[in-house]
Amino acid sequence: MLSRLPSGALKQAASATRLSSPSVVSSSRYASVRFASSRASSSSNAFESLMNSRLTLASATLFTAGTVAWYAHLYGTLPFIGEAHASHLSDEGLHPVAYPWPHNGFFDSFDHASIRRGYQVYREVCAACHSLDRIAWRNLVGVSHTADEARVMAEEVEYQDGPNDDGEMFQRPGKLADYMPAPYPNEEAARAGNAGALPPDLSLIVKARHGGADYIFSLLTGYVDPPAGVEVREGMNYNPYFPGGALSMARVLFDGLVEYDDGTPATTSQMAKDVVTFLNWAAEPEHDERKKTGIKAVILFSTLFVLSVYTKRFKWGPIKNRKIQYNPPADKTGH
Amino acid sequence: MSFAITAYNTIFKRNSVYVGSVFAAAFAFGIGFDSGVTAFWDSWNRGRQWKDIRHKYVQDEE
Amino acid sequence: MASFQAVKKSINLAPTVRALPSGVPAAPLLNLAVRAPAEQHGHGHGSSGPRADVPPSWAGGVSKSPFGLFTKTYTTAPSPRVFQQRLLHTSAVVKDAPEVPDFSHYRAPNTDNNRALSYFMVGTMGVLSASVAKSSVSEFLQTMAASADVLALAKVEVDLTTIPEGKNVIIKWRGKPVFIRHRTQSEIDEARSANWKTFRDPEPDEARAKKPEWLVMLGVCTHLGCVPIGEAGDYGGWFCPCHGSHYDISGRARKGPAPLNLEVPAHDFNDAEGKLVIG
Repeated sequence: MLSRLPSGALKQAASATRLSSPSVVSSSRYASVRFASSRASSSSNAFESLMNSRLTLASATLFTAGTVAWYAHLYGTLPFIGEAHASHLSDEGLHPVAYPWPHNGFFDSFDHASIRRGYQVYREVCAACHSLDRIAWRNLVGVSHTADEARVMAEEVEYQDGPNDDGEMFQRPGKLADYMPAPYPNEEAARAGNAGALPPDLSLIVKARHGGADYIFSLLTGYVDPPAGVEVREGMNYNPYFPGGALSMARVLFDGLVEYDDGTPATTSQMAKDVVTFLNWAAEPEHDERKKTGIKAVILFSTLFVLSVYTKRFKWGPIKNRKIQYNPPADKTGH
Repeated sequence: MSFAITAYNTIFKRNSVYVGSVFAAAFAFGIGFDSGVTAFWDSWNRGRQWKDIRHKYVQDEE
Repeated sequence: MASFQAVKKSINLAPTVRALPSGVPAAPLLNLAVRAPAEQHGHGHGSSGPRADVPPSWAGGVSKSPFGLFTKTYTTAPSPRVFQQRLLHTSAVVKDAPEVPDFSHYRAPNTDNNRALSYFMVGTMGVLSASVAKSSVSEFLQTMAASADVLALAKVEVDLTTIPEGKNVIIKWRGKPVFIRHRTQSEIDEARSANWKTFRDPEPDEARAKKPEWLVMLGVCTHLGCVPIGEAGDYGGWFCPCHGSHYDISGRARKGPAPLNLEVPAHDFNDAEGKLVIG
């Protein structure tokens, strides 16, 4: 503080006190103020020399460079610095359109008729290559099929069971507790049947792909001829929504490919919408119950919050507003 | 006003009655709230849920 | 006088105690230099505060120390001689009775409604909290129940039309063998006519077979868990080869070490399709 004042100000203060104080002793004491201030300013000189020293400059530079190097080591890139990429934007795939799914809203359940149709599409089209090994037949019961229908569908598939009393494995018709059969016995067989590409399991595919249901729908309906200048290898198919543009899966959905039992026209987009709804259900079977619980939770907890604020104010209001009045006892011993 | 006095005298006055009615009301509220939300959910999602389309696929039972 | 009360302590000073240069004995725990605070009524002995005619020691000055002369200076020290009476002040005038504002305008004319509302709001919070807590607890307890895939495996269906009369069928259910016996009429009569009250584990046949011609039992000997052999033993029922327990045609322990009858699992008949559901 002292060093910030100009020394003239101190002189003025000293002379002002000298005027008002007749005592010589006290005036000389105040005069020594000036000498005290000179000592304080010497410490600011030390600070300035510290700031101006080469060592400070070098260590600050070293600290900065080290921080940047450490950041680059941790995160690989530096912020605010443009990077050169060897890849093209199309390698990320075309961003899918946000489609108005019937189950998009906060209060919207799945369209279960669509799930049922989507299961039909999956069974007749997708299941030739893609497994769905996290869904059991019993999962369809009460969602898209009756228990009898699911049981009949399960019994059409032979499952290996055993061992029986003779220690042999045997084949038996499927039960509700069995999981969906896979098209290939193992990954190698799947790759061998698809020119080296592995058809992914579809149980969680909607959750596993960036863009979710929109992406799957766009991919299924987005097969086009490759634009000029794009070379697609033999056996690959061009799809702008697929990262990289070329994938092994060919377009599979064509108008009229399946025949819906509820009479819905089986257009390409209708089938794509239905199968994506089905796959979305497969990835999130808890979806309907989750949203219903969410409604309850939001209502309950927001009401509880308001009530707790009321109760807090009710309990604390008298405490915060009270005034304490103290009447000291009368002095009886006074004389 | 008389309602307030009646409510106080019947429910709030004794803590045992108060707490008991709170738990009873919680029980009733749980059931009522569940059915209310379910009713809203079903009306909002009319025609989309499985129970709305189930009758089409169920073979005549018994 | 009323505001000051000295705490009287008596301390014995040791005769060898050191004396300070001022002549006061250096007594630990005892401050002999303490003075009573100033009295508020003037007896003419003056105030015990800082003297107005001498600069206070904290205002600086020259002092002697073992290291030589020592000067201490503070720039902000006021001159004690320049003394000004404070004529303006902001403190409130002390009155005999404190003034309390008139709050009557804010007071509710009738507190019954407010009281009922407060109880109602607090009670409603209790209701919602209890409901939420109950749901949380019950949901948590449900996580301890068997999961859906386990429950799906917990039931076994058996087609009863394929089992001829007088035959045993053994199926597996939850890793244990289950005996299903299509009993003949004579076997039913035998099982029902037996004097079951004298048995080791008295149980009537009616309680064991939901339908008299179908007997469903866990095929685990109640003695040590062997699997009994069907259509064997002294009573025409089952015989455990491990320790020689005999069961009759109703699966009741009749002879040997077995303490209990063969267990009957929960089962139901589906008459429409001629099926038995175990579990």
